[in-house]
Amino acid sequence: MSTNLLRLLKKGAEADIFITSWNEKKAILKVRKKKEYRNEILDARLRTLRTIREGKMIHEAKKFGVTTPIVYFVDPKKCEIYLQFIDGRLVRDLPKKSIIKKCKDIGNIVGTLHKNGLMHGDLTTSNFILSPKGLVLLDFGLAQRANQIEDYAIDLRLFKEVLNSAHADIFHEAWNSFLQGYEKILGKTMTNKIISHVQIIEKRGRYANVI
Amino acid sequence: MLSLGIESTAHTFSCAIIEKKGKQVKILSDVRRIYRPPEGQGIHPREASRHHAENSPQVLADCLQKANVKIDELDIISYAAGPGLGPCLRIGAVVARSLASYYDIPIYPVNHALGHIELGKMLTGAKDPLVLLVSGGHTMILAFLSGKWRVFGETLDITLGQLLDQIGRYAGFASPCGPKIEELASQSSNYLSLPYVVKGNDVSFSGILSATKRIIPKGLEDACFSLQETAFSMIGEAVERALSFTGKKELLIVGGVAANKRLSEILQSICKRHSCKFFVAPKEYAGDCGSQISWLGLLESTVKSGEKMENTFVKQSWRLDTVNILY
Repeated sequence: MSTNLLRLLKKGAEADIFITSWNEKKAILKVRKKKEYRNEILDARLRTLRTIREGKMIHEAKKFGVTTPIVYFVDPKKCEIYLQFIDGRLVRDLPKKSIIKKCKDIGNIVGTLHKNGLMHGDLTTSNFILSPKGLVLLDFGLAQRANQIEDYAIDLRLFKEVLNSAHADIFHEAWNSFLQGYEKILGKTMTNKIISHVQIIEKRGRYANVI
Repeated sequence: MLSLGIESTAHTFSCAIIEKKGKQVKILSDVRRIYRPPEGQGIHPREASRHHAENSPQVLADCLQKANVKIDELDIISYAAGPGLGPCLRIGAVVARSLASYYDIPIYPVNHALGHIELGKMLTGAKDPLVLLVSGGHTMILAFLSGKWRVFGETLDITLGQLLDQIGRYAGFASPCGPKIEELASQSSNYLSLPYVVKGNDVSFSGILSATKRIIPKGLEDACFSLQETAFSMIGEAVERALSFTGKKELLIVGGVAANKRLSEILQSICKRHSCKFFVAPKEYAGDCGSQISWLGLLESTVKSGEKMENTFVKQSWRLDTVNILY
């Protein structure tokens, strides 16, 4: 497998993403490289844990119908994962109107994850790809099993922060659209409960005045 | 143009005068007095404000004398109106208001955190950076976008400065404890496991605070080393995520904790990986100082006239991402 030609697609925050092939199919190789600046023990702990977790969590998410790339192979020693290649555009790079529209679908997906007791941990508009077959959710390195309101609220807060920074000019429309989709899956009572917990988290922040 | 800036948000009372002639900017003077709480204790707001009140005449006099400027030659006066400790903020505001109204000089209430960023940008020459603001009051990752500094990541509870100070005080050091922790950390390389909490672009330090207290009995040097390695790696990862999300090609680090060598080593290594320019505010101007306030006043004076006296407020909670940037 390592004889395949590799082409660097992106240097992400925690992993390098290569285009490669797996059994003659176009594939993605995600390598969590050793970080020179990080203490070795800590570094090894994080990279191994997240590689294993990513494989597991993608598998779980698939069980209840969330579209994610297929996992071909996980190598916890080398901290490598081979994944299905997904063609499409990142939601982050779509035109503003489409982002607002797609936020509803994102809300649907996140609602489904939460309904089934999973938190993603890194919900950003660059972790959703719009493929011809619909939205695909990526990057489960920080995902985990979760059963508390707080965990779900953390997911929502992060997504809200992303909208309010990177997409500030469409923040309100996009956020409302997200909530619509989210509520459709989780119901009004639960959604309100989680949103009010988002505010509790925001109040913990420094010099907070909640938006 | 001559600008006086007054800083009094927390432990530092400082006055500074900056001269701007066309594009040339020169810090003529920057005088500070810092309130030092007893060992093992933090800032007591009332005591700190008493310190500021007692020292303000001398600091102001020294500042004017060093710059060789008379009060009536000043073109503008700015003061840090927040965020910070209420009693401390009020001292700076009172000094600014008195001078402004007696000598009839335009007055500018400015945001302290923004002062950190703008002075850092001016001194380092960074143009469009991702900013890491790390101090006792802030741990934020910011980038400028359509008229405001937007928060791309921040601490969900306490700040990096607070974390270091609280551990230091627990171990019996005098605040600020960062330098002492850095010194002890450099004497160890024995890593003890501590909780590592990164949530998306955000970090949380409350867990590591309790856990570090628990491992101090195993050796103070080891605890300090492990604390720095873990907490700074968390910041490093959050910064890396924000860099890769925003695609910025510059990183600027400002705030008191910017003086820590290990932290800047980590961030430098990250910048190298993302082929991104690395800027750090000069040590002398990384912590709280009047120059930050004075410079921000100058920037604001290019787009608006001085504030009416009845609007010269102080705001203890004043988030940076609510400030409209017009200049």
